Amino acid sequence: MRIQNKLYLLLALTLLLGIGTGGTKVRAADGAESYNYSYWGLTTAAPAAYQANVLWNGESMGAGAFKDPSDFQVTADKQIYVLDSGNNRVVVLDDKFHLVRTISSFVRDGKEETFNNPQGLFVTEGKELVIADTGNKRIVQLDQNNNLVKVIEAPKSDMLSEKFDFQPVRVVVDKAQRIYVMSTGVYDGFMEFSPDGTFTSFVGANRVSFNPTDYLWKMLSTKAQRSQMVMFTPTEFTNLDIDREGFIYATNGQDSGNVKKLNAQGNDILRREGYFAPEGDIRYMSATGPSRLIDIDVGDSEIYSILDGKRGRIFTYDGDGHLLYVFGGLGNQMGQFNTPVAIERLGDEFLVLDKALGEITVFQTTEYGRTLNEAVRAYYNGDEDKAFTLYQKTISMNANLEFAYAGIGKALLRQGDYHEAMKYFKKSMDQKGYSKAFLLYRKEVLREYFPGIMTGILLLLVCWFGISKYRKWKGGKKVAFIKQRAV
Amino acid sequence: MPLLSRELYKYPLYLILHPFNGFWELKYERSRKLNLIISFAILFLLIVMKIMQTQYSGFLVNIVYPDSINSLMESLYVIVPVLFWCIANWSLTTLMDGEGKFVDIFTSTCFALVPLLVIQFPWIGLSNLISLEEVSFYHFFSNVSVLWCAYLLFVGNMTVQQYSPSKTIGTIILTIAAMAFMAFLCLLFFSLIQQMVAFVQVIHQEIVLRR
Repeated sequence: MRIQNKLYLLLALTLLLGIGTGGTKVRAADGAESYNYSYWGLTTAAPAAYQANVLWNGESMGAGAFKDPSDFQVTADKQIYVLDSGNNRVVVLDDKFHLVRTISSFVRDGKEETFNNPQGLFVTEGKELVIADTGNKRIVQLDQNNNLVKVIEAPKSDMLSEKFDFQPVRVVVDKAQRIYVMSTGVYDGFMEFSPDGTFTSFVGANRVSFNPTDYLWKMLSTKAQRSQMVMFTPTEFTNLDIDREGFIYATNGQDSGNVKKLNAQGNDILRREGYFAPEGDIRYMSATGPSRLIDIDVGDSEIYSILDGKRGRIFTYDGDGHLLYVFGGLGNQMGQFNTPVAIERLGDEFLVLDKALGEITVFQTTEYGRTLNEAVRAYYNGDEDKAFTLYQKTISMNANLEFAYAGIGKALLRQGDYHEAMKYFKKSMDQKGYSKAFLLYRKEVLREYFPGIMTGILLLLVCWFGISKYRKWKGGKKVAFIKQRAV
Repeated sequence: MPLLSRELYKYPLYLILHPFNGFWELKYERSRKLNLIISFAILFLLIVMKIMQTQYSGFLVNIVYPDSINSLMESLYVIVPVLFWCIANWSLTTLMDGEGKFVDIFTSTCFALVPLLVIQFPWIGLSNLISLEEVSFYHFFSNVSVLWCAYLLFVGNMTVQQYSPSKTIGTIILTIAAMAFMAFLCLLFFSLIQQMVAFVQVIHQEIVLRR
């Protein structure tokens, strides 16, 4: 009977083995309408970080209706330059969305010239305006008083073929006044122009990606057949932006590796330390496919956002590649778009340009978004104490934001609370941070208990030695006794 | 009784260190009933170890999605491979002049798994006390335990079946192939059963709705 009882107990214990400590409660703020991705690749609820509150169109801004605007930019002094492609003009607005001026023509060699379906624009720090005048196959640079600085026509170079067709669609200018141009049909990367307007080189070509079965077929087919097949060409870029340090952030049409941060040599130096590489949605229906990125905007503190043209969503990442928040979408409600083409930041606000509707949607931060932005900034600037409190505040609004725990963990590590830091690193699945905190914690514990542990070991050794000696002595006596008897 | 309980753990430890003598004694000299008891104990401990590994191993070596932890599945992961191995091995060796009975094969297989217990059980606790740099020790030792097991399986099979080394290796390779075949048959069987059940269900539904 007792054995049976014990068996039951054993069985119960075995079943209990699998039960661990329960997970933490998820508490999102009221109206969790956004999402994020957990370490496990699951969609978790998150409070909205941004909310649409104003919608502007050409008429309400006093500039006349927009027709297919394709690009816009916000300058450091918060002026908004909208490229109204269909009307071949640039509309300049102030930060209250009041019309400042429009630019629809410029004077070249005494003659007035206009634009023809321009697709991209860039405003330099000196407020010079650079326009990719796509229809006229040229790039036009104007100073802030609308005087012509230079025009770059289709370049001639050994690197370019005879039949090269120059169709610039997006431009950026770095601090050294070099111009980087994204041109349709160019697979070698961005075209780099020196400040005097001569073509120097290509930067940051995408790699050729192809499917193994296609490659096999190509290997098996004859030359004649091969000439009929589609060539393996690198993907084109879809957009670009430049940050304050002069790094180019670019998006391309690939399914993965579609965000790049290029240094001067054209190497990709984007940090991908988040749970997933920054590439928009990681869970999607196979019928609709992955995100198609069409614009990128870099803010301060290495925070950048990408625009998914397929689903109209805007994904924002920090410099390490952690997904901060997602907002937007396609639809007819406020805060949704028809054909979003470009995103920009106006301070902490987001502006999204809709091409077909000719509208600009203004998104403002919610308290959650504000706190998170501030936390990331504080962390980026090395202000760990501030980051600590802000991250605490953030996770109290969104317990699912796993990477924030690592931020808290790092602050705790700096403060010397290693044990607590370990817990936070564990919550954010950060093995490196956990190991670092653990090593320090282990050292601390060992230092504290070293005398005790050593004494214990020594005592054990002495005991073991004594017992074995005693046994030998006793055993020896027994053997002697047996021997005696045997004799 | 104390002698017996001591024997319970002493003999497997002796066997893993002296496999040739150990397996010989296992087959020809020791009581079959006791061997079976020890074998089941080893299997049980392996299951317990597997469950404890997923639950209590250190964070640096063990990241599992908490919802995916299932003790029943863990026990299946131990029992099914052992059973498959024994059945496949037995079916082959009876045709290939092996001298082992099924019981011999089963007990020798179970005894060969003891290194897993001996090495990996302590590492469940130890893995909580290591840093990222020391994780390679963890992996080294778990690899050692697996290799040790493989060696013991080899020796066990050789001794129990009275084979030459080359024949043993051949049998082991064939056994693995047979295991794969069995797994395939099982999957086929289950999917067919599933189809049949679904068929009956649909017919039942149809009849119920027609009425």
